[in-house]
Amino acid sequence: MQNIIDVRSLNKKYKDHHAVKDINFQVKEGEIFGFLGPNGAGKSTTINMICTMLVPTSGSITINGFDAVKQKSKVRESIGIIFQENTLDEKLTAHENLMLHCKFYKVPKRKRGARIQEVLEIVDLVENRDNRVETFSGGMKRRLEIARGLLHYPKVLFLDEPTVGLDPQTRAHIWEYILRLKEKEGITMFLTTHYLDEAEISDRIAIMDKGKIITINTPAELKKELGGDIIELSTKNNSQVMRDIEKDKNIIDVTVQDNILYIKVHSSDAFISQFIKKLSVPIETLNIRKPTLNDVFLAFTGENIQQSPETQSK
Amino acid sequence: MEGILAIWQRDVIKFFRDRARLFGSFVMPILFLLIFGGGMSGTMEELVTSGLQVDENFNYVQFVFPGIVAMTLLMTAVFSSLSIIQDKEFGYMKEIMVSPISRVNIAIGKMLGASTVAFLQGLMMFALIPFLGIHYDIGNLLQVLPFMFLLACSLASVGLLIASLLKSTQGFQLIVQVIVMPMVFLSGALFPVSNMPGWMDIIVKINPITYGVDVMKKVMIDVDSLSPLVREVMGLNLTIFNRPVTVLEEVLFMIVFTVILVLLATLSFRRANA
Repeated sequence: MQNIIDVRSLNKKYKDHHAVKDINFQVKEGEIFGFLGPNGAGKSTTINMICTMLVPTSGSITINGFDAVKQKSKVRESIGIIFQENTLDEKLTAHENLMLHCKFYKVPKRKRGARIQEVLEIVDLVENRDNRVETFSGGMKRRLEIARGLLHYPKVLFLDEPTVGLDPQTRAHIWEYILRLKEKEGITMFLTTHYLDEAEISDRIAIMDKGKIITINTPAELKKELGGDIIELSTKNNSQVMRDIEKDKNIIDVTVQDNILYIKVHSSDAFISQFIKKLSVPIETLNIRKPTLNDVFLAFTGENIQQSPETQSK
Repeated sequence: MEGILAIWQRDVIKFFRDRARLFGSFVMPILFLLIFGGGMSGTMEELVTSGLQVDENFNYVQFVFPGIVAMTLLMTAVFSSLSIIQDKEFGYMKEIMVSPISRVNIAIGKMLGASTVAFLQGLMMFALIPFLGIHYDIGNLLQVLPFMFLLACSLASVGLLIASLLKSTQGFQLIVQVIVMPMVFLSGALFPVSNMPGWMDIIVKINPITYGVDVMKKVMIDVDSLSPLVREVMGLNLTIFNRPVTVLEEVLFMIVFTVILVLLATLSFRRANA
């Protein structure tokens, strides 16, 4: 597979802040590329540079064979961006919003009608085409934005927190649409999200922290690398448990969060029965599971993605 | 080219949808018409006719009406440019900025959108003519339209440049207060500005409204039939570097003014996402 995005030695320095530190990565054509990191890691800065909205201090970015600094216009034609916040014109109808987009991106005149119909079908908004966007629900607006991002047949679709602020049901729907797109159109997707369960759909995931890319791999590999099982345990007296298991050689790591002990072990099968016998306090809840992306994220960044401080890199 | 058209079209569609704004922007000019037309016309007319000892059929409203139209153009053009800041606040500007439209076309499209809206609003002022007891030749009214549009472009480019530099609507209100009123008063739109102190005269001479209103008056009012004294008192003998300005020069000034401000706004757009 060909590389559709190629980032080499990319740097962005502000006066007092080195936001992006010499990063390198490639995105393959047709894949879903998850781009994760705590707030302030330099994600937005990186994406803004790739989308030609910010000029890099040094390094090169190639998208669809075009240089993001020297061939801005060509790059802009090759990408579609679904922003985190609403960027629709609410006073206009769905159709008017889409038509304007066609004109901005020079979609040939005779193809416009068919394209608009096509994208409205993908996101199930055909019946709402002549309604004003201000009458839409949050989920409908999101879907319309996705439809709009597809109108000019971009090679890469950037999805910045595409489901933020939506209820779980709508979130599930949005992902259905996105996956449908990937199957039908084979568009490359560049995805950022705070919901790590959603990042699971990525073919590969890059984790960025403090201006650097710390790892890139498939979700399965990342979890495998982390290895072992995780036992989630809460008891009447967690500190007593800590003392009980202090010297156990099977335990790789223990973390406490919200009164729950997260005990990481190589293999839970052999460990669990003798572990329970050893406990001197009654168990309230017990759960054994495989590592999730959240555990991977935690291991790499030392932060829980949901709880990372709300500071933006700027 | 189509990008310009699309951006322009969006602003025009939205103008016709927003009825509140449509009528709201009439309030100020009508107020001024009442004050200057109704309240002051008696005094002004008496001043002119008795002070000059000429017995003439002089109608002050006839003189001030083009100025009020110009004021409407200014108000609407500048406030339409506010849409750029609203687009920034509501996110739509991002959709425009990440698209392949060149930055200069964004600026031109926005400028034309605001000038068209202002022009339409100014045109609607013409509907008041029968109620004001004044009369203009239909041919003259048609002739004045292109000049009105050009003036609207110059004024929209002022709004465009301000809006391109700002991030919030609050700052915009403030700057508009500081710029709009002086532009109206130091232009000859409402009263003659022929005897201004030096520094004020400089502002008058770089103010596009001065030339726009002057052309409009020259076209709309039958200047030649007025006595030279009335023309003098009403400030219809606009001079620059001690010689009378021609319509061609005034048109050129407005074009150059617009082009310069649009280019400056383009630079500001480019820098905003550079």
